[in-house]
Amino acid sequence: MNFDHIDIVQSLIDGVLFGSVYALVGLGFTLIFGAMHKLNLAYAASSIAGAYIGLASITIFAVPTVIAFLVGPLAAGLVGLLIYISCFQFMPRNNMLAPLMASIGALFFIDELIIDKTAGSPITFPVLLPDAYFPVGEFGFRGDLLFVTFASFVLMGVIVFMLYRTKMGLATRAASQQPVASLLCGIPTHRTNSTVFVLAGVLGGVAGCLAAAAVGVLSPLLTLPLTVKGLIVAVIGGLGSIRGAIAAGFMIGALENLFLLFRGVNERDIYVFLVLFLFLVVRPNGIFGTSIDRD
Amino acid sequence: MSHSTLKNLSLAATMALAFASTSALAETTINIAGWGAKSGPLRSFGVNSEAVMKAAVARVNETGGIKLKDGSKAKLAFKYHDSACNAEQAIAVARKVASESNALVGIGPTCSGAAAAMFGVFQKKVGDAGDTGLQFPILTDTAVRNGLAKISQWTFRNTPNEPDMYDKLWAWVAANHPNLKTIYGGTETDQGHSNGTYSKVIVQAATRHGFKWSKGNIEGLSGKLASGFKNVLASSSNWLQADTNFSVQARAFRRSGADIYIISSHPFTTCGMLKELKRQRATPKLLIGLTSSSSQEVMKGCAAEAEGMIIPTSFAPITDMAKEVAALANKNGGDADLHSAAAWENVMIIKQVMESVGVTGQASMVQKERRMIRDGLEALTTTNGLIGKVTRVQDEGEALKPYVFVQAKAGNWVVIHDPR
Repeated sequence: MNFDHIDIVQSLIDGVLFGSVYALVGLGFTLIFGAMHKLNLAYAASSIAGAYIGLASITIFAVPTVIAFLVGPLAAGLVGLLIYISCFQFMPRNNMLAPLMASIGALFFIDELIIDKTAGSPITFPVLLPDAYFPVGEFGFRGDLLFVTFASFVLMGVIVFMLYRTKMGLATRAASQQPVASLLCGIPTHRTNSTVFVLAGVLGGVAGCLAAAAVGVLSPLLTLPLTVKGLIVAVIGGLGSIRGAIAAGFMIGALENLFLLFRGVNERDIYVFLVLFLFLVVRPNGIFGTSIDRD
Repeated sequence: MSHSTLKNLSLAATMALAFASTSALAETTINIAGWGAKSGPLRSFGVNSEAVMKAAVARVNETGGIKLKDGSKAKLAFKYHDSACNAEQAIAVARKVASESNALVGIGPTCSGAAAAMFGVFQKKVGDAGDTGLQFPILTDTAVRNGLAKISQWTFRNTPNEPDMYDKLWAWVAANHPNLKTIYGGTETDQGHSNGTYSKVIVQAATRHGFKWSKGNIEGLSGKLASGFKNVLASSSNWLQADTNFSVQARAFRRSGADIYIISSHPFTTCGMLKELKRQRATPKLLIGLTSSSSQEVMKGCAAEAEGMIIPTSFAPITDMAKEVAALANKNGGDADLHSAAAWENVMIIKQVMESVGVTGQASMVQKERRMIRDGLEALTTTNGLIGKVTRVQDEGEALKPYVFVQAKAGNWVVIHDPR
C-alpha cells in the first residue's frame, strides 16, 4: 500500500477518534474491575444488547431516535444488574475464576440470544450526524466520532465526579479497597457493587449506541471485537484507572489504524496484541495503574 | 343410546383405527438431510436455506411425493441440522447423518471453508476400497467458492459458477461503459468466499477484459484464474468480517482514483465500507460487488450508499416459479436469494434422480441407494432451475447456472441485464 504523511496523519486522526468507542468500553471494564477486582467479560455484550433494545424501541414502538439513545443505556444498565446477580453476587468472594467463567457464559448467552432474535442479520442503526464531515486542508474529521469523543470525556467527568464527590462513590471505593472492613462499617457492599454494575451498564449502553451509530449497523459480529478491544484498553490503561482507560482507548485506536496502514489488515491485530504483551511485561499495571493491596 | 348401538360404534371406531394404523404403516417415507449455519453470525444463511427447503419438501409431498421403484408413492421428509459456519461441526454433522440416519442424500453446508473441510472426509473416488471416507451423496446449495465439488466424487454442487458470471459481467461492463478503464478494490480477508472470489476470480476477469489496476501493475496478475492472487490481495485495501472502522481503506479507495471500485464482502462490511466511502466523498463511476451481497440485507442496511452497485446473481424473482419460491420462503420465515433458492432446485433435482434410479425406501437398501443417487446425480446433464436451465459440469460435480446482473436502485435490486 502506498502512503504519504497525509495518510499517516489522517490515519492517526481517524484512529484517535474511533478510539473513543474503545475508551468508553474500556471505561466500563475498568469501573467494574476497580469496584470488585473482578473482570466482567459479558460487559461489551451487555452494551450491544442495550443498543439492540434501544433499536427495538424504534422499530417496535416507533419512538423518536433520541429516545432510543436513552432506552439503550437504561436497558444495558438493567442487563448489567442481571449479570451482577447471576454471575457475581452469589459467587464466593475469593473465587476469582467462578465469576470470570460465569461472565464468559453470559457473554455467549447474550450473543446467541441476539443471533437468535435477529437471525444473525445486521440491522440498520440510526446514524448520528451522517453528513457531518469537517475537511481541514488535506485532512478531515468525522462529526459523529468527534461527538463520541466529546461524550467519552463528559462521561469520564461524570464518573469521576460520582466516584470522588458522592457518598456512593465513597462507598464504592471503600468496598473496593477494603471489602471486609467496609462491610463491618455498615456499607452494603452488594448494593454498592450492583450500583456500579448498573452505572457501568448505562455507560456501556451509551458506548454500544454510539458505536452502532458510528458504524450505522448493529450486528452480533460487534460483540467479540469490542470485548477484546475493551479488555486490551482496560489492561493497558491500568485496570481500575479511569483516565488510563480513556488514554489507552485513544492510543489503541490510533495504533490500530497505523498498523493497518503500514502492515495491512491481516497483521493489524498481531501488532495490537504485541503492544498488550509489551505492556504486560514492561508495565504490568498499565499506563496509570497502581497496585492496591487488599485485606 | 342402547347397549348394541354403543357396541356397534365401538366396533366401527376400532376398525377405523386399525385401518388408519395399517395405512400409516404402509406409507413409506424417504428421508433427506439438510445442514447449514443456524447459529453464529451467518445464521441467516441457514434460516433461509431451511425455509426454502421446507417449502420445496412440502411442494413435493403436495404433488404426490416420491414415486418409488415399485410404482407406489412415498412421502419426503427432511431434517435440518446446524453446522454453523464451522468446519468441525460440518464434518460432525456429515458423519452423524451418514452413519446414524437413513437419509439418502444431504443438502449443505453454508460456508465454503466448512464445505472444503467437510468434502475432505468423503471418499475421494467412488469404489476405492482403500478409501474409508464417507460414502454419502451431497448436493450443496450455498457454499459457493470456486471448484469445491471435485474434492470428492460423492460431492456435487448446484451453486453459481462465479468465474463464468464475473467473466460475463466484466465483458458487459467493457461493452457498456467503454470510458471506464481502471479498477481498485478490497475484500474481507478472513472470509474464504469473499477473499478467494475477489483475488482469484473478480480481479482476474477484469484484467482479462482490459481493465487496469489503478495503482500500477500487479506482479503475476495475468487474468488467468488465481494468477498472482497473493499480490492482488497485497495490493488491495482489505478489512476483516467484524471490522467497524473503514477509514484507512476508504481513503485508499478514494486516493486510488479508480473508475471502478470492487467491494468483495458480505453485507455487514459491504455496508460499513460503502458508508465510509460516502462519508469521505469517494465517488467511483461504477461499483461492483460480491454475489453474496445481492441480498435484502444490503438493501436494509445501506440502500442509499449501495445505489448503483452491480452484482451478478443466479437468483432474482423474475419468473413465476422464482416469485412463488420467494413468497414461500418469506412465509417460512426466510428469504430466497442466490444461495437459498438453490435449496428448492436441489430438492426437485433429488426427487427427479430418486425417481429415475428407482429407490425403494427400505432401510436395508440405504447404502446401495445412496450410491445409486450419487450415480444419478453424476449422470445429470441439465436440470431445471428457478430462472432457467442449469447445465451440469459432469466431471467436476458443478453447475453452470443461468444468471442476471442486478443493480441497486432506490432500495431494490433491479435486473439490468438478462442474458438468459
